[in-house]
Amino acid sequence: MNRLFRLKEMPLHVMLLPGVLFVLLFAYGPMVGIVIAFQKFSPTKGLFGSEWIGFDNFTYVFGLPNTLNVIRNTIVIAVMKMVGGIVFPVMMALLLNEIRARFYKRFVQTIIYLPHFLSWVILSGILWDVLSPSSGIVNDMVGWLGFEKINFLGNENWFPFVLTGTDIWKEFGFGTIVYLAALTGINPALYEAAVIDGASRWQQTWKITLPGLAPIIILLTTLSLGNVLNAGFEQVFNLYGPVVYSTGDILDTYVYRLGLVDFQFGVATAIGLFKSAVSLVLISCSYLLAYRLANYRIF
Amino acid sequence: MIRTKWGSLVLAVIVTAVLVLSACSKNEGNNASPSASAPETPAASTSAAESEAASPSPAENLDPLGKYEPGIGLSTIRHTNSGMKFLNGDTIDSNIYTKSYESELGIKVTNKWVVDDTQYAQKLNVSIVSGDLPDFFEVDPKQLQTLIDGDQLADLMEAYEKYASELTKKIWGGINDGKLDTALSKGKLVALPINGGQTDDPDFIWIRQDWLDNLGLQGPKTMDDVLNIAKAFATQDPDKNNKNDTFGLNMNKNIWDGYSGITGFLNGYGAYAYNPTNQSGTSTFWIKDASGKLVFADIQPEVKVALGKLQELFKAKAISPEWATMDGTKASEFETSGKVGMHFGQFWNANWPLADMKKVNPKSEWSIFPLVSADGSAAKVQSLGYRPNRFIVVNKSVGNPEAIIKLLNYFMEKNYGETRNEDYHIVTQGEEQVNTFPYAAIGGSYADTNQNDYALVQEALKTNDPSTLNPTAKGYYDNILAYRGGDLGQWWVEKVFGNQSTYEALAKYKSDPNNYVYNEFYGSPTATMSERGSTLKDMEATVFTKIIMGAASIDEFDKFVADWKSQGGDAITQEVNDWYSKR
Repeated sequence: MNRLFRLKEMPLHVMLLPGVLFVLLFAYGPMVGIVIAFQKFSPTKGLFGSEWIGFDNFTYVFGLPNTLNVIRNTIVIAVMKMVGGIVFPVMMALLLNEIRARFYKRFVQTIIYLPHFLSWVILSGILWDVLSPSSGIVNDMVGWLGFEKINFLGNENWFPFVLTGTDIWKEFGFGTIVYLAALTGINPALYEAAVIDGASRWQQTWKITLPGLAPIIILLTTLSLGNVLNAGFEQVFNLYGPVVYSTGDILDTYVYRLGLVDFQFGVATAIGLFKSAVSLVLISCSYLLAYRLANYRIF
Repeated sequence: MIRTKWGSLVLAVIVTAVLVLSACSKNEGNNASPSASAPETPAASTSAAESEAASPSPAENLDPLGKYEPGIGLSTIRHTNSGMKFLNGDTIDSNIYTKSYESELGIKVTNKWVVDDTQYAQKLNVSIVSGDLPDFFEVDPKQLQTLIDGDQLADLMEAYEKYASELTKKIWGGINDGKLDTALSKGKLVALPINGGQTDDPDFIWIRQDWLDNLGLQGPKTMDDVLNIAKAFATQDPDKNNKNDTFGLNMNKNIWDGYSGITGFLNGYGAYAYNPTNQSGTSTFWIKDASGKLVFADIQPEVKVALGKLQELFKAKAISPEWATMDGTKASEFETSGKVGMHFGQFWNANWPLADMKKVNPKSEWSIFPLVSADGSAAKVQSLGYRPNRFIVVNKSVGNPEAIIKLLNYFMEKNYGETRNEDYHIVTQGEEQVNTFPYAAIGGSYADTNQNDYALVQEALKTNDPSTLNPTAKGYYDNILAYRGGDLGQWWVEKVFGNQSTYEALAKYKSDPNNYVYNEFYGSPTATMSERGSTLKDMEATVFTKIIMGAASIDEFDKFVADWKSQGGDAITQEVNDWYSKR
């Protein structure tokens, strides 16, 4: 019986093999490169020939005047994106859920989902035009409302909000779909009972829909904690410039400039390792939280 | 039941095997290609082996353009840009040069990869790290230093001495005459500098002549005139459309750009700052101070004055409020759509981005003015191209480094030699001029090729006799006549080689060597420069941009100078002067 059972499973294991190999090769293999963070790395001497300097790269990086500021920017931008990335899709899902015309509902759903498929390279060009103080439609509206026109991409106070706003705009359609799916899982009998008890539309939303969504909201929130140091390289890289370094420069762009433009691989790896370490702690915490709050387990 | 399970097991095994095998075979393919550098001619040995010792093979063929039999293969990497045009059917991988290399020299040159200019340095850095280097390739000074430190480069001394043709030696000089000595390291010739000696790269003031005429203004004689023209362009409706929609001075967020940068403006105030954001923090500019020591150009008080004037223009709304978010392309669209009437830029600006503007808007007319100074005396102009900053290096693993010298000889021969052939330089295809010379895997030129062609064209225009022109100059001559005959597409040729052209202005700059300011530091990047350069560069770009935008007061400049010094600048200055005294 036991033998037969194993035989039955064999094809599944074999099919798993390419995936496991892939992960080993491309996720675990490159981890050897972490040693660069502790070396005075010279590309031509290679991983094992470079001079070992212990934690010097870390002391150097955290001694640089910009580093702490960059970490702060990263956290601020990432947290704003996380919060917005939960609030807006939930609101949108609730609103869409109230719509009766199915065609219209699907239509809206598709339209708001579309930007998700555009790359930031393209979007940055579009956004530049849309947000331009001289010719952009957004600033035209700001002007009609009687305010001074705003240089969104060239003003360090506005820049983090522009990043957050555009990121939410791009991704909230995707989130909406997840929550809409969760909404279909709520037992309709609950609504019928509420109607009989005389609950208004608003009360139904408040007492049935939101509590019904709570587990998935909590789950997605806790899982996204691991991304606190990921503020979106592609987006920032395509939109920023020296004028907004002070509030817009994030860890990933900083590493890019140090490592690939300026050739300081040891230093760049040290920051990357720092980022990974923090993320690992956060992901562990969020996993624990997800288990406690939403009873979600992977293992 | 069990049978079908077995069936699916077999299927799964097959699928997996196919996947794994195909991955393997791909790897083999990748590994095989770079090994093309052939071991056929072991006699042409590497480095130190002194001349006599290497000569036992009497059949050694020293012909600079001799063909390899059987042929050999060399791999390289290339960068292209959107302005690069190709003849029908040609690509960067297959064109007149690659075909001739193979048929006439017996050298098959293959490109391991090709990327856009803007990504070349980064992609090459990745290749250096992974050790996946081609046989020969182009590097910048910092990459050169890394490769020297890693002892990765072939010594080209012997190959150059023996195989460089007379023509190549005439243009490039001997080992110690100026050009090649920038690529010497411990007595070895580790690279071939492919630029340098150029003095064509100072800025000019480009002004819309039709706007000047509309407002009844004269061209600038002093920097104050420049400021006044910029302000007038912004406020007095120079395009006569009764809308307040124009600006005076065009700039883009890369303030050191050769198009719509601030270099020329700074030169006008005797300031020579240079520290581009898109290059490593070691590309800095150093000048001599009164005591003969080298000082960092970007922290001199003249820079503060110039930045203050730019801030004044920005506050007067003579510079677009959006300049700090515009890249060069955006800035060029802004300008060619007729929104701005002046910029500082180099001689090629007529070709890009202004070339098509005349066709779209025939009334537009650009004038080129030499840089002016604050007090009206001749401004000293800044040239970066005088010191080489691009080098071709040869991988140490290459068995026959002289093959690269042969490629160079071939380029020189086809462009400047007796068998000169315009097919290898510029070809007219339909209405388009297609530059074929950039296809060459290794090139280079007389520092003053364009300047000499300008003089020839001018002479021919005066005498109406093009018979003495070389094919390149003849092309310019024909295009200028075409423009004068009404072909607006050739406007830029007139602007570069014709009357009141950029080369006319350059001839004035070049008439006195004292008109130029060169970078006095051309050693390899110092230790502190490599370590701190990135941070210092970011700081400088941020402070300069903010000052110009009025987001920081001009006094922030003094704080920047203090910060620069304390955060590594003093050490860099010391290292640079150590190099200077030992040079």
